[in-house]
Amino acid sequence: MKNILKLFIVIPLVFTSCSEDFLDRKPKGNLTADTFFQNEDHAISAVNAIYSNFRSWEYCGLPFIGATDIISDDADKGSTETDAFYLAQVDNFLFDPTNETFSTIWNGHYRTIARSNIAINKIPAIEMSEVLKARLLGEAKFLRAFNYLRLVQWFGEVPLITSQLTDDQFFTQKRESKQNIYIQIEKDLQDAISGLPEKSKYPATDLGRVTKGAAKGILMKLYMLQGKYTNALTIGEEIVNSGEYSLMPNYQNIFSRLGENGSESMFEIGAVALQASIAGSGATPYNMVQGVRGVPNLGWGFNRPSDDLIKSYEAGDPRRQATIIYVGEVLPDGATIVQDNPEILNERFNQKAWVPNHPGLQDNGPGNIRLLRYADVLLLCAEAANEINNNQKALEYVNMTRKRARGTNTFILKDLTITNQTELRAAIRKERRSELAMEQQRWFDLQRWGILKDAMIAAGKNFVANKHELLPIPQTEIDLSAGNLQQNQGY
Amino acid sequence: MKLNNQIKFIGIIVMLLLARMVDAQILVSGQVLDAASNEPLIGASVIEVLSPPSVNPAGTITDENGNFSLLTTSSTPTITVSYTGYEDQTLAGSGNNPMKIMLAESSELLDQIVVVGYGVQKKSDLTGSVGSLKGKDLERVVTPNVEQALQGKLAGVYVTPASGQPGSGATIRIRGTGTLNNSNPLYVIDGMITQDASSVNPQDVDRIEVLKDASAAAIYGSRGANGVIIITTKNGSKNKEPKLSFSSYLGSQDVIKKIPLLDGQSFASAYNQLRNQEIYKNIDSIGVGTDWQDEIYRTSPIKNIQFGAGGSNDQVSYNFSTNYFDQQGILESSSFNRVSARLNIETKLKPWFTLGNNVSYALINEQLAPGVVGTAYRMPSVLPVYNSKGEFTDPTFFGLAVANPAADLAFKSNNHKKESRLLGNAYGEISLLKHLKFRSNFGYYVRSSTTRTIEPKFEVSASQLNKNDRLGINIDNPDKNWIWEQTLNFFKEWKRHTLGVLVGYTAEERKSDFFGASRQGFPGDADELFYLSSGNDTTQMNFGGASDEALTSLLFRTNYALDDKYLFTASMRVDKSSRFTPENRTGYFPSASVGWNVGREPFIESLKIFDRLKCRASFGILGNQALGDRYPTTAIIGTGQNSVFGSGENLNQGSTQLSISNPNLRWEISRQTDIGFEAGFLGNKLELEVDWYRRNTYDIIAAVPIPAYVGSQNSPFVNTAEVLNQGFDISLNYRKVGNISYNFGGNISPIRNEVLKLAQGKSEIFDAFINGEPATHTIVGQSIGAFFGFQTDGIFQNAEEIAAGPSIGNEKPGDLKFKDLDNNGIIDGKDRTYLGSVIPTFTYGFTLGGGYKNFDLNIDFLGTKGNKVFNEKESFRFGVYNWEQHVANAWTKDNPSTSEPRVTNGGHNYKVSDHFISDGSFLRLQTINFGYTLPKTWTNKVKIDGVRFFVSGSNLWTRQTYTGYTTEFPNSGSPFKVGFDGGVYPIAKSIQFGFDTNF
Repeated sequence: MKNILKLFIVIPLVFTSCSEDFLDRKPKGNLTADTFFQNEDHAISAVNAIYSNFRSWEYCGLPFIGATDIISDDADKGSTETDAFYLAQVDNFLFDPTNETFSTIWNGHYRTIARSNIAINKIPAIEMSEVLKARLLGEAKFLRAFNYLRLVQWFGEVPLITSQLTDDQFFTQKRESKQNIYIQIEKDLQDAISGLPEKSKYPATDLGRVTKGAAKGILMKLYMLQGKYTNALTIGEEIVNSGEYSLMPNYQNIFSRLGENGSESMFEIGAVALQASIAGSGATPYNMVQGVRGVPNLGWGFNRPSDDLIKSYEAGDPRRQATIIYVGEVLPDGATIVQDNPEILNERFNQKAWVPNHPGLQDNGPGNIRLLRYADVLLLCAEAANEINNNQKALEYVNMTRKRARGTNTFILKDLTITNQTELRAAIRKERRSELAMEQQRWFDLQRWGILKDAMIAAGKNFVANKHELLPIPQTEIDLSAGNLQQNQGY
Repeated sequence: MKLNNQIKFIGIIVMLLLARMVDAQILVSGQVLDAASNEPLIGASVIEVLSPPSVNPAGTITDENGNFSLLTTSSTPTITVSYTGYEDQTLAGSGNNPMKIMLAESSELLDQIVVVGYGVQKKSDLTGSVGSLKGKDLERVVTPNVEQALQGKLAGVYVTPASGQPGSGATIRIRGTGTLNNSNPLYVIDGMITQDASSVNPQDVDRIEVLKDASAAAIYGSRGANGVIIITTKNGSKNKEPKLSFSSYLGSQDVIKKIPLLDGQSFASAYNQLRNQEIYKNIDSIGVGTDWQDEIYRTSPIKNIQFGAGGSNDQVSYNFSTNYFDQQGILESSSFNRVSARLNIETKLKPWFTLGNNVSYALINEQLAPGVVGTAYRMPSVLPVYNSKGEFTDPTFFGLAVANPAADLAFKSNNHKKESRLLGNAYGEISLLKHLKFRSNFGYYVRSSTTRTIEPKFEVSASQLNKNDRLGINIDNPDKNWIWEQTLNFFKEWKRHTLGVLVGYTAEERKSDFFGASRQGFPGDADELFYLSSGNDTTQMNFGGASDEALTSLLFRTNYALDDKYLFTASMRVDKSSRFTPENRTGYFPSASVGWNVGREPFIESLKIFDRLKCRASFGILGNQALGDRYPTTAIIGTGQNSVFGSGENLNQGSTQLSISNPNLRWEISRQTDIGFEAGFLGNKLELEVDWYRRNTYDIIAAVPIPAYVGSQNSPFVNTAEVLNQGFDISLNYRKVGNISYNFGGNISPIRNEVLKLAQGKSEIFDAFINGEPATHTIVGQSIGAFFGFQTDGIFQNAEEIAAGPSIGNEKPGDLKFKDLDNNGIIDGKDRTYLGSVIPTFTYGFTLGGGYKNFDLNIDFLGTKGNKVFNEKESFRFGVYNWEQHVANAWTKDNPSTSEPRVTNGGHNYKVSDHFISDGSFLRLQTINFGYTLPKTWTNKVKIDGVRFFVSGSNLWTRQTYTGYTTEFPNSGSPFKVGFDGGVYPIAKSIQFGFDTNF
């Protein structure tokens, strides 16, 4: 009997000793944080994942369109009157910090930054080709800088996060001064410029990865934002003189399949619609949210080009027709005519986001998202030159895009000849709007020029000065930060 | 477990066998049966009578089959068999053949035996709160699923059917929602631990025990916090003669009710109001239009056939059953049929050695209907099913198209799942010493299914189409689980003392895997072509994955009773789970409880009021592994984060760490207190049981939102939050037997659910977003997932009223007015408030039954009170949809309604407000069952023991104010999204005819 009892004491001990092996279970079919970042493939894969997030709803979906075009004077909300009510609030400046527009874009951009941070922190320790390593780090740093540039323009001072946060840091971040954010962006971009190859040096299979030229272009934007016009012009002209880029002869083609990664493309996010009944793994929601709603049923019909935008074009400017889809218009694929949708009053759609019918449903958007065009850089060169009183150079650059736009029609968009700095400034800004309309640039331009209030009031919006120049920090972030994040003025 | 360890176990068992051979007394064995029913008596005590009386006489209790074996000190022993509620019997014991002892019921009500974890106990000795239900109470409910049959039957057990899809289960909450994540109870089927009861045929169930408090459930340790449901299947009835039974029913089902929606004319008129012009000119000519609910629902049959055989001889007892169940869904293209068989066998190989095996196997064919309940609700009734060309109508005229539900049913229902389920256990039991038994039990559960989905090429509209015909095959093995338990049970009764001790250790493993493949582009549409090989191989896709987990445990429990009056129980379980890191893997779950049979004290007996009266109290700590994720502490690298590069637009593989993990994660802890009493009056005909409980769950594992600037795709799981559930379980039963027999019983469970603490830095959880606005808000001091939004305050009648405010800014006459709760003159997010809880203030059920001569009648009601329901399907609008009938009374200038806003299609009036929230209280006639048993004088002539015919109805009557099909919308995944009626498959009402025979 005693022996039996002893056995029952022994058994649990046996059980405990074998149980640690028995209980050691690893996820099946997944790498884990411990087994990742071991080799070159992992490094490439981690950088690819940064680009991937640019196609997410949080990054380029409806809230993004809301915080760029719809909020600006380029566009109205569009779609049916009541769909996506939160964007109607954005359109009319009736929003508060709980509006999902702001939390969504904040989310999308910080997720992209987090992916960049992981790559930037982990890749240096991997044994691999140093050239490739420098390029991958350059890509990741560029992508991080690009996102901070957007955030600082939208929200002003934001938390500047450049490493993987540990759990004790989750709630303690504070808003960083604009100056320090600019310094970080510039540093990242300088690193990217030195690590990245020019567009022509990439093999055809890597077309679409960020380039030295793209990094210079974004750095130029940063300088423009800071009013460093000389620096901006210098780097802008480096791009011009690199011979890597040229304007496409036909404006409308920039936004077609032909224009994807074309001669004018400096930075765009690749997308492809693979055969799928739902959103394929290469698709974006960007085309769907702006697509024609009704017949042909290509999307949700948001981002309606505004009356104000239509009025802003010079008479006969063919870019207006290339930017806006009207009811009754034959679509560029020649196959379909847009019909009136009784649910939407005076509907119009963004032609630059138009894609022909694609496999599967609307959410399988195949259009690359154009983020930086050569024409943008040329117009910034014009702007910078004018600001430093080099009006000849300014005219030279601004007339390049006008020339391309008029094509063979010499009766329209004649070369500008203004020499007065103020008048030329206005002309360049007008040209910039016509060239880049509905490309999610307008809000940032108006803000950089410091004329948001005038433009918004001219467009009939409820803009409140000293408040609406910056978007509100999402309320959820304020709530979670336990006092570490303060809201922007006026909210 | 490693092989050498298995060898060690076997070695130990062999040694134990050898050990018992040294004893040399005679072994008396036998079975104790109810003299009237021949049913085995579980837990009857068998004690050797010694002369002179010894303080330590040999004794035992009968097992769950009524069997006992007793080693006596004398070679010609006398034994006394006693059982509460029965007359004692004293007789000479024989060591030659197993004895058969028939006990007659005493005038007192028989005391129940209840199954507790790893054993059985007399109810009078119980110190914990356990609800019991007999199999025949379940059979009245027409369902293939035991979970649904539990609805309304037990106090403190709140059951809500997941949906009306044939074969679907139910969400069960025992004493409230204890945590912010998985609040489902644990299921134990004949010792096998499972996540649900879907693999048991309700007609095979002998009894169900629900372990509600810590004293009862703590023996299940880390998984007991949400309560435990123990299901015991029917065992070989201990008759010498084999008994056969045959029963069947046939029924007809319809949707429980229809939602009142606008017909064609009223829709056209509402649409004209919406557009503020005469779009539809001649409204009268439109007629009633299409009733889309009629297009998707049908009257459908339900069939059940059950055959059973059971019996025993001296060594072997067995019970065999086979069942065919076939249910066509009330929704077109949905069905469930199951063929199942069960064989339970127990063999007494030696007087001291018993082997047993319970096994059930089921083959299930299921067809899942496409999601058309919501689209049938939304389709404008002016649209016909087919257009003039005889094709399905494209509803795109109204902008963003709703999918035509009739087309979905036609094109998307070729979806068939074939599943096999093997569930069982095998055990051996050895009587080691007089009072000591060793039991080894191996349980297994294996589930495997293959689903074939064929979607033909079709195009109804630009958003309802399939450009290529497609075949998908999914092979899913969600359970490949086993459990191995070794327990040692000591039980001894002295004159004044009773002592039971249980020790045990268990190991278990759960694995799952899945695999799937698809192709598009098939060369024809003949059935025999729809195999992957004939599809276009350039379209092939495949996927697969697997996961596993393991748990090892030590368990201990002791029961002690003094004079059958003072009862003590203590238990402890130590669990180790693979889900946590080695540092946090071990959890200790103790409990202690006391009971006092006050009714046996002379001062109570002298009152002559109570036939029995017991008070009890328990406290214990239980755990919850909580998460569906089997590797919650490991940061997984997310794949599929592909980027597109190159002139050929190629996908480039991308992966990175997407979410934050928390290696410090631990068990959830639940501290539970229970105080209760049980009383019997009027010769035990009237019984009352009342329990008060307090369940306090700490360290709740929750995905806690972190600031988005961290950039994590998911919120990490952390131990945080605290939830309190406090309430009463009250049940009352009265039964009167005799020529005219009747009984009534009821249970009521008031409960209060309150969040006591949320995560650090996170004082509120918003969830259930509708049109971008949260519809639930969880904060400290309120219940989990409470509804949240604006309070309406009538309708703006004119522009002056709007100008006078307060308003949001865009209102027009006829719009809803919201209350300005902070009185600052504007309506904004700060004016949203608590709009009620989805958790009922109490749930209840009651039963009325009666019999007269050969007739019997039984009626079950159930209901809830105080819960709210959110009409989510009404609040979501992205296009022109149909409206509910109350919209016919919408505000217009000529009809200045003060409750029904003007007709709109989204926007202001669709902001989350109490306009979409209704009272969810209901009272339902769950079953009514009327039977007639043929007189025995007739049936005995043809050697049939009994024939009963019956007619029964299910869900025939419901009282509720809500317009939807039902008011309960559980969500087994998230407590923050409960009570949202998004258009789920509704339940049916039905009528059945059937018979039961025994011969």
